Order: sequence, then structure tokens, then C-alpha cells
Amino acid sequence: MSTRAKNTRRKFLKQTGVAGAGVYLFDIVPSRVLGFQGPAPSDTVNFGHIGIGGRGRGFLRPEANLGKKVPSSTNLGGDGTRVLRASRSVALCDVDASRLDDAATRVGGKPKLYKDFRRLLEDKDVDAVYIATPDHWHALQTIMACEAGKDVYVEKPACNTIEEGRAMVTATERYGRVVQVGSQGRSQQAAWQAANYIRGGRLGTMRKVTCWHYASPDGDWTPDTDPPSGLDYDMWVGPARWIPYNQKHTHGAFRWLVDFGGGQIRDRGAHVMSIANWIMDADHTGPVSIDAKGEPPRDGMYDAAVTMEITYEFKNPDWTLVWSQPGTPSKTMEARYGAVYHGDNGELTVTYGDGQPTDTEQKAKDYAAQCNCGKAFRSPGHSENFEDCIRTREKPIMHMEAAHRVATLCVLGNVGFQLQRKMEWDPVTERVKDDDEANRMLSRPGRGPWHL
Amino acid sequence: MADDKQFLADLQNASVDVRFAAWRAAGSVTPAVIPQLGKLASSPNPGVAKAAREALTTMTHGVGKTASTNRTGVEKGLLGLASGDYALPVRFHAFRLLSGIASEESVPAIARWLQNTDLREEAIYCLERIPGPAVDKTLITAYKEAKDDFKPRVLAALGHRRVEDAAGLCAEAMRSTNKDIAVAGVKAFGRIGKKPAGAVTPPEERGLSTWQRIDEIDSLLRFADAQAKQGNAAEAMRIYKTALDRPEEHWQCAAIIGIAKLKSEESAAAILPKMKSSNRTVRITAEKAWKGMAGEATPRS
Repeated sequence: MSTRAKNTRRKFLKQTGVAGAGVYLFDIVPSRVLGFQGPAPSDTVNFGHIGIGGRGRGFLRPEANLGKKVPSSTNLGGDGTRVLRASRSVALCDVDASRLDDAATRVGGKPKLYKDFRRLLEDKDVDAVYIATPDHWHALQTIMACEAGKDVYVEKPACNTIEEGRAMVTATERYGRVVQVGSQGRSQQAAWQAANYIRGGRLGTMRKVTCWHYASPDGDWTPDTDPPSGLDYDMWVGPARWIPYNQKHTHGAFRWLVDFGGGQIRDRGAHVMSIANWIMDADHTGPVSIDAKGEPPRDGMYDAAVTMEITYEFKNPDWTLVWSQPGTPSKTMEARYGAVYHGDNGELTVTYGDGQPTDTEQKAKDYAAQCNCGKAFRSPGHSENFEDCIRTREKPIMHMEAAHRVATLCVLGNVGFQLQRKMEWDPVTERVKDDDEANRMLSRPGRGPWHL
Repeated sequence: MADDKQFLADLQNASVDVRFAAWRAAGSVTPAVIPQLGKLASSPNPGVAKAAREALTTMTHGVGKTASTNRTGVEKGLLGLASGDYALPVRFHAFRLLSGIASEESVPAIARWLQNTDLREEAIYCLERIPGPAVDKTLITAYKEAKDDFKPRVLAALGHRRVEDAAGLCAEAMRSTNKDIAVAGVKAFGRIGKKPAGAVTPPEERGLSTWQRIDEIDSLLRFADAQAKQGNAAEAMRIYKTALDRPEEHWQCAAIIGIAKLKSEESAAAILPKMKSSNRTVRITAEKAWKGMAGEATPRS
């Protein structure tokens, strides 16, 4: 134990008047010795699901699968066939009624069905929630879930603004909740192998990480219509700025509007750059400058960047992160997106970084196998890690602060792209230096009753 | 400086590429084109409407970094769009752009739309983003003049901006018989984090919906956190202890976490019993809080 820790402890004991009382002995003791046994592995977690569209369906836990092996294609982060932790989907919620019955059938049993997520959060039978709604809802629903005492797995990106991300961190800490954000690449074996290889110094001093990704669609013109019956469109828009209903900007396609999805950088960037931040040990900091270039859609209804190149400069240690769509793909591995890590002594590629076949080069796999160094935490799978943490109350691998820092990269990339100017960023105060408009864009007042 | 007339013609060109080149270069045209852009932004040709909207956006971002004469010109032009006889979506767009660059001088002109049912949400969004005390004062006045269905929205803006001068108004709102206003009052109060002169009576739990009750307790916890940060440990402890005595696990946890930050003898006395809680999450939270206070020490009985 360090001198500092001892001093702190001594000071604390003095302050509390407990020292010397002879009643307590202070030491670091395993919790089991104290009778704090921790959760029994057989405990079953009751999940509520908010948002059960394309992504949300992947989180459902059919009754029939309880205790059975499931393939990694369930897209939950992790490798190979495994037995998921004991858990049940006991409540389902979606603003689109047409999805509820289908999801209930998939789950089996008799899950409770809700259209308003607040009713699900009030449900005392629900221990934790999976949130797979469109991005503009992630922050508020996560915060409200914490306020209601639920642990949370929320899809990436964590948030749409800097203010949202910081508010999510605060809510998580205020209530002592477990919040895992769905950048599941960190739970992939290849990412772990790459992390060990790079952190083990095999590339020497790290200088640069270059991410590549294909460009975004530029969209077309589809007329606005009335929303379909069964869809509570006002609830779908929620805290975002109001726009008329259009089938090409709701389910799935919201991605290409900056106010809602934020384009590829906020979608896949939250995967690829999550691994970069993890490997580069930047989970609690951020860049000092952001320089954005690129082109928006020339026509059509979308506004998220079609092409972009964002250069982030980090200090202490000094390194550069580049997000490019399209960028220069890896010379050693074939993939639609990923990142190349450049050090003084060489390079290493990590492909994808989400539920896709994330992979890395053989040299990193061999190193991880030989050194058995375990410098990086080895997640058992993203959902498993979340569910383990529900029981142990430890921070998950993609904890809220880390997710906020990754989302910060995505958000600042978009702000810089929209403003078309270089920004100087203070990662401590989380403000842009000498840029009034940019700072106003770091938050978004809520709409109607929806506020942070 | 580009020729304004040619610029407007290019925005309406049949070629997507010509329109695109025009709106990407809109930072170099004068604010005099803004009224015309407002008309084009509601063109039945969606490509032209987009080009006009994007041109307005580009012009705004071009002057947004710092205060300048150019910025004032664009600001006035946008204010004209927001306030003028333009299509509603165009006015929405103008308010949203103004939110990024408007100065305190524009506040009265924006605030008058808080009385307009179609525009009040956009107007308050815009005001909420404008820094400075002029907006704070305007919102306090607006609260008093707002219809009941809009009072919660004004309170939310005051809370978001942490307007300390509104703490008394929040306390007053909490006493409203309208539960939505009362809960909005306590929410704003918690976010502002300042205790006003006089008594503060949060809405009674009876009559609140389950979610309103969650909002209320969350807001009081936020207020306690603010008090702790401001050095008012006694007030913070009083609120935390109320939460600590509740049966709900997460409110106990929040109280434990808050109390631990106070690092006092009273903190230790409050947390210690929770380390024997029958609730595992409470127990673990208390153990962690204790460790945090004591520098990794754990009590052994």
C-alpha cells in the first residue's frame, strides 16, 4: 500500500474517530471472508428491452434458450459458441406496436408489453434494461433508467452531444449503476490480442492510428407522409428537434441525419475508435485539436457527411488519430472498415471492431498466446461482461466514461465537419477554445417534456 | 465576394453540382440575400429548397466563431426569417441557426414568440442556447406570463441553464396544485442546486404518479450533490439520509455514494450499517464507499 493511501486512511480514521476503538481492524480482505459473498452464479437477471427493432431483437433472451449454447452470430460481442448467463426477457417496449407482438413471440413466455418506456422502467420486476433505440434517445433513456434503479446496456454511440455524455456519466455514478455501452469490439478476442501486442511494446512508441470506412449514402427525395398507425411518432422524435415523419429517416435510416444518427462516424466510429481509445489508454482523456474535412450530400434528404477525414491530435502522450471515409484500407488485411496502428517499429491492423468478424494479424495472435501477459482485461463477451458486472457491481469493459470519451470523438468530428474549421479542444473542461458557436453545439436543449 | 445575383441563380440551377457549389460557397455572399433564401427554402423543388437551407447554414457557420460585424448582419437576417412571413419549416430552421450565433440583443425579438403556440418550442430552444443573463431574466419573466401547459418547459430551460435567480420561482412552482408544474419546479430546483430564501416544500408524494415521484427524488438527490459541492454538508447529509432510509435499493445506493463524498464521522456512521444490508447491491455499494473513504480499508468485525 502506498504512503499516500496510508496517510489517507490514517487521516480518515482520525476524522471518523474509529481508530483505536478496538472494534474494527482495517485491512484489505477478500469480500468472501467478510460474508460479502457476491452474487450466486445461478442468479437470473430479469431484463427489460427498450427498442426491439433490428438491433434490439438481438438482445432478446428466448425462454427456450435459457442455459443452452448460442452461436456468436447473436452479435452480442464475444467469440465462438457459448452459454449466456442466466437471464430472462420479462418486459418489452417499443413505440412501434407492430414490433411488440413479434418480439413477444420470439421471447416466449408472457413478457409484459409497453409502448411507453417509463412504464417499463417503473416495473419492479425488471432488474436491468437493454436500450436499442435510435441514437437521439440513448442519453435520456439511460439516465432515466439509472434514476429508476436499473442497470443498463445501451447501444452505441452513447450520446449525440457532449453534454448528454457527461450527464450519463454523472447519473451512472450518482446511482452506482452498471452501464455497459454496446461497442462490443472490446470484448472480441482479436481486439484483446491486439491490445496486448501494442501495449506490450511490440510496435515501439505509438504515433498514429488510421481508421478507414466506406462513405455514407447521399440519399434521395422521398415525400413526407403521415406516420403509420401503431407508431407513436411524437415519442419516436422524443427529445430531438421536430421533423415531419418520413419512412426514409425513421427505422434504420435515421443514421443519415446528424440530429438523429450522425452518420458513419457516430455509428461505426463508435466501434473502431472505441478499440483505438482502449488500446491507446485514452479512456479518460481526449484530443486537443480536431481538424475536419469532407463533403456532405449534394442532394437528397440526408445531411450526414458522405466523405470525411477527421484528424485528432492527442498530447501526453503525443499521437494522432485519423477517421477517414473512405480512407486507405489496410495493406495486410481485407475488410470494409477497421484501423491500422502505426508505431516506430511497425504496424498492426485490427479489422471491424463490432459484431462483424473483428480480426487482427497473426503476429498479435502469436504474441498473445506466447506471452500470456494479460495486460488488457479479457472480457468474456460483451453481454456476459455486463451481466457479470450486474452481479459484482464492477465497471464493465465499455463503461460510461470510456463510452462518453469515444462518443466525444464522434460528436466533435461532426461538429468540426459542420463548421468546416479546426477546433482546439480542452479534454478536461470539455469546451472548445475560442469558438462560441462550436460550444453552443456541444449541447442540445430537449424538446417538450424531454430534458436531461 | 461572390456576386449575390449569380449566387441566387446558381442555387436554382437544374444541375445538382452547380447548386452544391453555390451553397458550399455561401460564406462569401452578403446577408442581403437572406430574405431571398428564406423564400427559396420553401421551394416546391426539394433540391432548390435544400440548397437554400444549406446556404443559410453555411453562412451562419461562416460567422459563428466569434462576434463580428458579419455575424451581426447574418443574425439580423435570420431574425427576419424567424419573425417574418415565411413557411413554418423555414422559420424553424432560422431559429435553430440563430441558437448558434444569436447575441443578447436578439433576445427580446426571439422571446416574443414564446407566446406563439406554433413557434414557442423553437423559440425557447433558441433562447436556451444563448449565453448571458439577458436570457435568464427573460425566461423568469416568460414563466410568469406562460400558459400552464408551457410553464414546465420554461422551468426546464431555467433548470438546464442553472439560473440561480430562478431558485425562488422554482420553490413557488413546487407549491402549484398542477402536478406537472410542481414536478417541473422540483426538477429545475434540483438542477439549479441553490437554496432560495424561505421554505422549500417539495410536492407531496401523494397524488404524484410513479414517474413523477422518481423525478422528485432524483431532483432532491441532485440538489444534495450540489449542496455537497458547495460545502453545505449538513444540508446534503439531511437529504441523503432521507434517501438512505427508503426501501428502494437505488435510492439507498445514491445516498451511500453521496454520503461517502462528505467524508465525515457522520458519513461512516451512516454507511456502516448498510454493509450488513440484506440487499447485495446496497451491501457492495456500501463496502466500496467505505473503501473509497478509508483508502481501501475494509472493516472486519
